[in-house]
Amino acid sequence: MSQSVKDPAKPLLEVRQLEQRFDVSGSFFDRLRIAGGRISAPRRIVHAVNGVSLAVKRGEVLGIVGESGCGKSTLAKTIVKLHEPTGGQILIEGEDITRHDFARMRPVRKKLQMIFQDPYASLNPRQKVRDIIMEPFLESQAGPVPDIADRALALLAKVGLGIEHLDRYPHQFSGGQRQRIGIARALSVQPDLIIADEPVSALDVSIQAQILNLLMDLKDEFGFSYLFITHDLSVVRYISDRIGVMYLGFMVETGPTRTIFAEPKHPYTRALLAAAPQLGTKLGPASEQVGGEVPSAIDLPRGCPFRQRCPLAFARCAEERPELRPVGGGQAVACHLHEPATEPALAAT
Amino acid sequence: MSNNEQHSKPLLRVQELRTWFYTFGGLVKAVDGVSFDLAPGEIMGLVGESGGGKSMIGFSIMGLIDPPGRIEGGRIEFNGKNIAGLSEDEMRVIRGKEIAMIFQDPMTALNPLYTIGNQIEETLALHTALSARERRAKAIEMLHKVGIPQPEQRLSHYPHQFSGGMRQRVVIAIAMIAKPRLLIADEPTTALDVTIQAQLLRLMRQQVVENGTSMILITHDLAAVSQMADTIVVLYCGRIVEKGPAEDIIARPRHPYTRGLIDSIPHETAENDGPKQRLSQIPGNVPDIRKLPPGCAFAPRCSRASERCRMQDPVLMEHNAIAMGSGKLRPHAVACHHPLAVSP
Repeated sequence: MSQSVKDPAKPLLEVRQLEQRFDVSGSFFDRLRIAGGRISAPRRIVHAVNGVSLAVKRGEVLGIVGESGCGKSTLAKTIVKLHEPTGGQILIEGEDITRHDFARMRPVRKKLQMIFQDPYASLNPRQKVRDIIMEPFLESQAGPVPDIADRALALLAKVGLGIEHLDRYPHQFSGGQRQRIGIARALSVQPDLIIADEPVSALDVSIQAQILNLLMDLKDEFGFSYLFITHDLSVVRYISDRIGVMYLGFMVETGPTRTIFAEPKHPYTRALLAAAPQLGTKLGPASEQVGGEVPSAIDLPRGCPFRQRCPLAFARCAEERPELRPVGGGQAVACHLHEPATEPALAAT
Repeated sequence: MSNNEQHSKPLLRVQELRTWFYTFGGLVKAVDGVSFDLAPGEIMGLVGESGGGKSMIGFSIMGLIDPPGRIEGGRIEFNGKNIAGLSEDEMRVIRGKEIAMIFQDPMTALNPLYTIGNQIEETLALHTALSARERRAKAIEMLHKVGIPQPEQRLSHYPHQFSGGMRQRVVIAIAMIAKPRLLIADEPTTALDVTIQAQLLRLMRQQVVENGTSMILITHDLAAVSQMADTIVVLYCGRIVEKGPAEDIIARPRHPYTRGLIDSIPHETAENDGPKQRLSQIPGNVPDIRKLPPGCAFAPRCSRASERCRMQDPVLMEHNAIAMGSGKLRPHAVACHHPLAVSP
């Protein structure tokens, strides 16, 4: 694992102004429109990730929350280069991997592994467990590995499975056990960073707790970092050191977990926290609720992406898109209401 | 909840319901001896993990159990009449008018080939003698009530032209338009985002309260249930392990499984910045329902299990609990040989 001396100052993962767009317009004839006597063929572009910057330090858990369609999964997949980014930079320990091709990504994948949401779709049904979990490791090795069976067994033990599971196929496992297999596969190359995309969302509550505990135990043992993508606020609060809140492909607020939950600044973060069901609290009247729904990522609204649903929106929000600016205490907000100029007291801290 | 709830007869009385499925893999006792009462206007939460049988109770009440499944025994008394085993024709009169259901996935609940207007009016055409014009007016009014903007125009739109949250609003409109006496909502907000979920739970509660409808809310989400329900029924492997007033179940669970479910939800307890507490977890997995162990089905995962638990089935026993606020005695029942002590 420790093949090189690691510079602790450098973040493990750094993403700068990442952009991911998808052209969904189809063929020329699909695009063809006749309006007002004029023929045009406009393109339809989904703006999935819009200029997102983030950094994950060694041993840190960064949680990304947001509702469906906010671009959090696309962000994860772009970082591991399952999608080619359309703009911005991805740096792993300072190495720019944005334009790496498959061959040059291979050594990078030893540092970077992913756990997926759906434990049914992310395991090859025709592979035995021993082959599934050792595949990334074998991919990263030049020659044959003599003690492969022992390694596989050790990996399974780490995730709470045993020797009897080695020669079974994925369909013979429950959802929670499959997710354990997915985790073992990610662990096989001893990565520095694990990107987990909704790893517990498909699981029952009691199994969710088992997997979260396992992820935290492994982190303590191996000291790696997580980029943890989820829509579940209670999960993100439990697991993250820092949180980033995404909305419509934009990062609208980042900060330490406690600060985000104690003093959410962005109106969207506030609405999200207020809407989350609390155990044993009766559903009150709509308070800091936002109406409406997420606008289309094809026609991004002008100005602030949240302004149409925001109870506090004012003229400037429609004109100018707010940028993510630090407001002190490690917190940063993309909102015109929280600019350093308007809140000098906060900026000074 | 109304004050006369104590005296009034239950709207729905389910007694010893058994819904079994005869599969090639073996006999699946999806619902195995479930009994509960639902008072008029009461909101009951049915919770449990996948395979608990909670959806099958809803389907049984609606008469939607198809082979290889069968209602093997028990009674479903709706308004004093046993509706278990009614013929399809007889059920059709009740379904939609007296009992309506909302499903998890609004896209599969709506027919993609018909406009929203057609689908809302269909219920009225089947169950009322209203004219086409009156039906249209009612449909517009209902869409307005569930918060769909420009209802007149939206009537002629197809399901695919609505977002997930809007579709579920349409489904709620269809369910509520005939003012049913019982609404069964099966994971109605699971497929939706948190902000939309809160909007829809409020909408459903408002609709139910306005019309005096009773509601069964089926979900795996304990937090959502605790926000909505008057009473909670917890299921495990087709049986009720605990039932009682919602506040009481959440604050003072007696069954180790209920306790485990509550503790599995990550929640911030301490204010300190220290190392993260491990979540308390229920070990193991939900057993294969075709090969349930003898005795208590939860025993293999239970820290309190004794020899007795592995031999003898616990029966659901009532204790009296004081519902918060009202000071009235309401039954809290638990099926456990070693229930948790009531903490002060």
